[in-house]
Parts: sequence; C-alpha cells; structure tokens
Amino acid sequence: MKTIIEAQGLTKVYSGGILAVDNVSFSVNQGEIFGFLGPNGAGKSTTIALLTTLLSPTKGTATINGIDITKHPYQARLELGFVSQDLAVEDALSGYNNLRLQAGFYHLSRTEVHDRIAEVLKMVDLTGRSKDKVETYSGGMRKRLDIACGLIHRPRILFLDEPTLGLDIQTRREIWKYVNTLREKNNMTIFLTTHYMDEADSLCDRIAIIDRGVIKTLDTPTALKEAIKNEVENPTLDDVFLHHTGKEMREDFTTKEESFKARNNIRRARR
Amino acid sequence: MNIKLLLSDIYWVFWREIKKFLQQKARLMMVVIQPLIWLVLMGNSMSGLTRNPQAAQMLGTGNYLDFMTPGIMIMTALFGGVFGGTTIIWDRRTGYLNKMLAAPIYRAAIPLGKLLSIGLQTVLQALIIVIIALFLGVHFKTGIPGVIALLAIAGLFGIIMGGISLSLSSRIKSMETLMAVSNFLTMPLMFTSNAMFPTNAMPAWLKGIAMANPVSYAVQAMRTISTQGWIWHDILPALAALTGIMVVLVALAIRLFSKSVN
Ligand SMILES: Nc1ncnc2c1ncn2[C@@H]1O[C@H](COP(=O)(O)OP(=O)(O)O)[C@@H](O)[C@H]1O
Ligand SMILES: [Mg+2]
Repeated sequence: MKTIIEAQGLTKVYSGGILAVDNVSFSVNQGEIFGFLGPNGAGKSTTIALLTTLLSPTKGTATINGIDITKHPYQARLELGFVSQDLAVEDALSGYNNLRLQAGFYHLSRTEVHDRIAEVLKMVDLTGRSKDKVETYSGGMRKRLDIACGLIHRPRILFLDEPTLGLDIQTRREIWKYVNTLREKNNMTIFLTTHYMDEADSLCDRIAIIDRGVIKTLDTPTALKEAIKNEVENPTLDDVFLHHTGKEMREDFTTKEESFKARNNIRRARR
Repeated sequence: MNIKLLLSDIYWVFWREIKKFLQQKARLMMVVIQPLIWLVLMGNSMSGLTRNPQAAQMLGTGNYLDFMTPGIMIMTALFGGVFGGTTIIWDRRTGYLNKMLAAPIYRAAIPLGKLLSIGLQTVLQALIIVIIALFLGVHFKTGIPGVIALLAIAGLFGIIMGGISLSLSSRIKSMETLMAVSNFLTMPLMFTSNAMFPTNAMPAWLKGIAMANPVSYAVQAMRTISTQGWIWHDILPALAALTGIMVVLVALAIRLFSKSVN
C-alpha cells in the first residue's frame, strides 16, 4: 500500500508558549479515510493547519505525496484540498461563483472551469441550486458546497476539519455518504478530524486518538475496541477513549476565537 | 516569481471583494446618500460665507460647493479606505483567509487585490460625488480630463488609507480595536486638513499642521484642478508625494501581511 501522508515528529508551539501538537508521527495510506479523534483543544485543527501548510511546524515535518511541506509548500498545496471547520463559504455569492472563485485561486484554465464546476456540483448534489445565493442554503448544503470547493482542483488528498460540526444527525449521515463516495469512486485519500465517536467509528478506516497534542493510540476502529475487550464488555469507542486518556470527551471551547467560530458555525448551519 | 500567476491571483482576490461590495445594497445606498447629505447640507449652511467677498477670496472660488467637492471626495476616500483592513479581520474570523492561504496563491496577492478593490470603490464613490455635484451646480474648470484626474487622486488616496488599515490589521486581530484605532486616526487627519476650511482661515499653528497633512496635499491638488486649472507646479509635487506615500504603505501592507501568515 502506498503511503501518501507521512508525518515525522510534527510539533507546534504557538507564540504564547502553548504546545498544541507534541512530536506527532503517523502515516496515512493512499485511498483510506483516516480520522483524528479528540476533544476540543486536542490539537486536531493545528495538525491539519501544519499538514496544509497554513502553519509552519516548530519542529518536525511531513510529506504529502512525497513532497516535503516545509521545503515545498507551494507544490504541496496543489496536492491537497482543505475544508476548514469554519464553513468558509461566501454567503453573498452564488454557489457557482463560490466555486468560480476557488477555481481562480487554483489557476484552472478558463476552458475547463465550467466543466469542472459542473463535476464537483454533481458530486455533492448541488447542481440545481448553483445559481442561488449561498445565504438561501441550508447548513448541510453549505457544508457540501464547502467540500465541493475543496475538490475543484481534483486533489489527491482531502482534509476535512470537523466536517459535521454543528449539523443535525441526519445531515451528518448525509455528509458521511458523500465522503464515502469520494473515496470509493475517486480513490481519494481523506484525512478528517472529529470529536464525534460515532463518526470516527462508522466512517474511518483507521483512527488516531489525540489528546493534548499527543497521539495516544492509532488503529482500525475494530482493533481499538478488540484491544480492550478484556477490560470492558462490548467496548465502544467511548471506552477506548476513556482507556487511553483516562477521561471522557469534554465539550469546552478553549479560546475566545474558537468559541466565536463554533457559535458562528452552529448558527449558520442551523439556517 | 511568475507575474502571470501573481496577476491572476490579485484579480481573483479583487473579483471577490468587488462582487461582495456590489451585493451590499445598504452599503451602496450609503455611498450615494452620504455625499448627497454632505453636499446639500454643507452647501446650504455655508453658502452665506461666499457672499462675503473676503471669505470668497480665501476659498479661491465664489461657490462654496466648488471648494467643498474635492474635500468631500477625499473624506469619502478616507473613510472608505480606512476600513479596508476590517475585511482581513473578517476573513480571518470566518476562516476564508485560511481557505485562500491553503490554495497555491501568492501571499502578496491578498493585500494587493484588496487594495485594488478599495481603489476602485473609492473611484466609484468619487464619481457619484461628481455626478451629484454637477446636479447641484458645481463647475469643474478643467472639464472631463480634470474629473478623471480627480477620480484618480481620490483612488490613490483610498489606497493610501487602505494600506494603513491593512498594515494595522496584520497586527490587530480584533475588529473593535481596529475600528477604534481607525477612528482615532481619521478624525484628526480630517480636521487638521484643508478639506473643509481653507488654510488661510486657520490659526497659524493649525495651518502648519494642515500643510504637512497628506490629506491637504490631495485636496489641494484636486481643488487646483477643479477650480483653477492645470497649474502643474501646484499639482505635480502633491502627486509625487502622494504616490511616494502610497508605494511605501502598499509595500508595508504586503510585508506585514506576509509576516502575519508566515
Ligand atoms: N492561534 C493560536 N494561538 C495560540 N494558541 C492556539 C491557537 N490556535 C489554537 N491554539 C491552542 O492550541 C491547542 C490546540 O488547538 P486546536 O488545534 O484548535 O484543537 P482542536 O482542533 O483539536 O480543537 C488549544 O489549546 C488551543 O487553545
Ligand atoms: Mg478544531
């Protein structure tokens, strides 16, 4: 199996001295859905920011399809699509224009833009609504549009940071379906983060449990549960989490900015 | 560096800003209403002034609105440009900034595209002021070429203020703080300039400040063009100074932005 992401000793210390990601190493295989599972503040978004070249690591590095992200960030960006946890779509523009903009940022040639936009709109079932302004979209539609933006340049790897944050359970299932299809039909590698146990369990091929910037364990959901069978009867991922971190998932927002974004997301998603 | 890609990146950042600007109906209304209020109100309340021959001489024109129009154009450019940085703070908060940064675009394209859109917005606003002014009987001595020059200077000034604001927004992460700092900057810049009152009518100390204030260079050059004619030895030094200030501030904005996103 081909390794497509290889992180070696990734470390990020923020300017305030906060150690957000602490010497993290792992590798992701081509075509798998790889999940980072951890509570708020665990360092999931920071890890994604490092891998997508939005932040530079304090120590360590990673390769994306063989490209070193610290040495060749520009080339690495061409290989990856990034969908942030922030639902960063432009409400005032139409779905089509959101994608047009994204295509511009990725230097797609004018001749291929239209077909490419039609292609990603179809992937997320938004073709019929593409001319409408995004402010008329539901939360799930916005998220799908955001995912479509991440797909416009046919990346090899798609990074999804908390793709179902603030969505209701039906809409979350729907998003899972799209993510699964992407992997199956397009052989895309998907790196996602979540703090939902069920999401990690049903969607991911392999899961890394991260807490306070450290990977506690990494394996398939089945193997993770198997491993603690002697301790707990019919273990769930919750038990796995408790076993490795000594605590339940907590639901607190660590910074003001984070809580602003979370509230903003939930508000927008509910519309 | 690939110039073609850089220009393309700037274009798309610019495109986004302009599209958003044109979607904001309330803001577009303000763009028209605000100068209208200024011109009508100021024109009416101050017209008595120009009936006094001594005051008319100080203003350099027999019509207070002729005197006032360039001042209002610059004032609009000042207030429009100085909030340019808020879009960066907003993009940072909504996550759109990261979306752009994860794409293979030149970092410099983000401040440059935003500045360009501020420039164009300022020009559009200035054009609306010209149109309103024409309806109110303002006379532009140098005709259409003169009006084009006025629009260009207003645009340049908008970019200068945008440069200050973008530079600040690379350091200041909160909208409230940026707004407060911007107000703190714009009010004194405005009131220590010749935008509303002729320097000749000012006390000596204020006159000194007014002459050094870049707002005054811009207004003076525009006023010369619109009320007196192409008096180059008045216009050129002001233009050169403004261009120099703009280049420095644009460079600073790019540098601070690039550093803030590493
Ligand atoms: N820009 C930042 N500056 C300083 N600290 C930060 C910043 N962003 C995140 N952190 C801190 O780093 C830690 C990890 O945050 P993050 O990666 O966002 O976690 P997660 O995505 O798992 O919720 C938290 O303690 C958070 O407060
Ligand atoms: Mg996060």
